[in-house]
Amino acid sequence: MKDCLFFDANCKLGAGAAGEACLPDVSALLSEMDYYGVDRALIRHTNIIKGALTSNEKIAEFLCDDPQKRLCGTWCILPSQCDEIPAPELFFSQMKAARVGAITLSPFEHRYVPCRLTLGKILDAAAERKVPVLLDAFAGRWTELYAFMKEFPYLTCIYLESIGKWGSDRNLRPLLENYEGFHIDTAGYWVPEGIRDLAEKYGAERILYGSGSPRYNHGNGMLQLRHNGLNDNDFALIAGKNLERLLKGAEL
Amino acid sequence: MRTSIWEKPGSIAEAYWKQGHADFPVYDMHGHMGSHYAIYFKRCEPADVVAHIKRAGVKRLVFAHHDALWGGLRNEKVWEMCCQFPEHLRMYVAINPHFPETIKEDLAKFDQWAPFAVGLKFLADYHRVAVTDKAYEYALKFANERGIPILNHTWGGSGFDGGPIMLEVTQKYPRAKFFIGHCLYGDWDYASRVVNETPGNVWLELTAIPGERGIIEMLVEMVGSERILYGTDMPWFDEFQGIGGVLSAKITEDDMRNILYRNAESILGKNW
Ligand SMILES: [Zn+2]
Repeated sequence: MKDCLFFDANCKLGAGAAGEACLPDVSALLSEMDYYGVDRALIRHTNIIKGALTSNEKIAEFLCDDPQKRLCGTWCILPSQCDEIPAPELFFSQMKAARVGAITLSPFEHRYVPCRLTLGKILDAAAERKVPVLLDAFAGRWTELYAFMKEFPYLTCIYLESIGKWGSDRNLRPLLENYEGFHIDTAGYWVPEGIRDLAEKYGAERILYGSGSPRYNHGNGMLQLRHNGLNDNDFALIAGKNLERLLKGAEL
Repeated sequence: MRTSIWEKPGSIAEAYWKQGHADFPVYDMHGHMGSHYAIYFKRCEPADVVAHIKRAGVKRLVFAHHDALWGGLRNEKVWEMCCQFPEHLRMYVAINPHFPETIKEDLAKFDQWAPFAVGLKFLADYHRVAVTDKAYEYALKFANERGIPILNHTWGGSGFDGGPIMLEVTQKYPRAKFFIGHCLYGDWDYASRVVNETPGNVWLELTAIPGERGIIEMLVEMVGSERILYGTDMPWFDEFQGIGGVLSAKITEDDMRNILYRNAESILGKNW
């Protein structure tokens, strides 16, 4: 199987504040990934909701513990008016230096409205430079997600389903149909042979393997993907090549 | 990177990775059929469902039709569906406590529906009637007299089919075989108690749990793999995701075999 790259798009690392399930450090995560045969992971911090800047620092530290560079980091953004994060140019160059390849946001916990007024500067720059934006905070918050996508229709973004096991096709498909840069991960999308249906309808390029770790293990979704009835090329895209392409495409 | 579970020579995981099935039949003990108001299903009618389970080496799916649970379809029609796919489909007679006459009429036909009807299905959380309510008594006595299974939807904290209620009812009807659907999700203490404080008539059923990191491991530790059954809520969840979740749990292959087929065979036999 190792001729196929598995690159996890949906993975949290580090301890949370509320005693939630966690993988505390890089070696615990790499050991889990090895157990199931996952090659690489895009990581974000479990505790983002309790602090954007502190969790950004932690992610940078974690990446120093990964000499084989199997992990790529995600940093959290905040509204630009409060001077908590630097201007886009500098922020992106800091990301590049720290091996951080994607950004995320947590507007509901960090208490601001996720719109053009608050995030226009940083997200317009992200759209222009094709920096992937993880939409994990919007899991299950469809009204807010629809409003956000209307504000930022040209983002390269990945909706991460981390809470719902019920199929969300009635909400996901309109977004896939209308926003070219909208991608989804597979964690929690347990519809029988549904990954193949979405790939046939919207293109396998729009779907990324995600484990949803640490709530979920890495393995169940791998077997689901393996036997979804996809052709070899689409399987390889979803398993890892899509995420690899999105991260390489970011002009940081 | 060390060898992953999917690459271990001769393992069940390797067989599933390479071929999509292993050297044993899988019994999916928690399924449904038909469309559902809250979700879009592309595959939910018998032919598509059977095609999907066959791909994953599932020998039998035992299901309760959504519309039979809501009261819009009689169980006799569900039996007719099973007759179309005698190799793969078995049914739980859907019990809706708001239709007492239907319950009596349908249970009077239970024997006529052999071998397809193997037990009853309670969905108390959705019907908003506690399993301990009088409305379930007729069906509970029926199952108790015959020693047949009842698949109960259960959920931790529910006032209709939560831990204390399921403990009371499983102790009161010791001959009925209770399948605790979703393992009282989230209330693992009571999941353990309903098995350990009853006289061998209770099994935990896994729907919605395979894939959750560490939960199957914990349940096996608490009640033993002999008391756990596999299920998917088909057509809600993909068989390979569910089986993948069992194979991804850090338990022994003996435990996996118990969960995926041995326990169902010890309850219902090899040919049912
Ligand atoms: Zn169910």
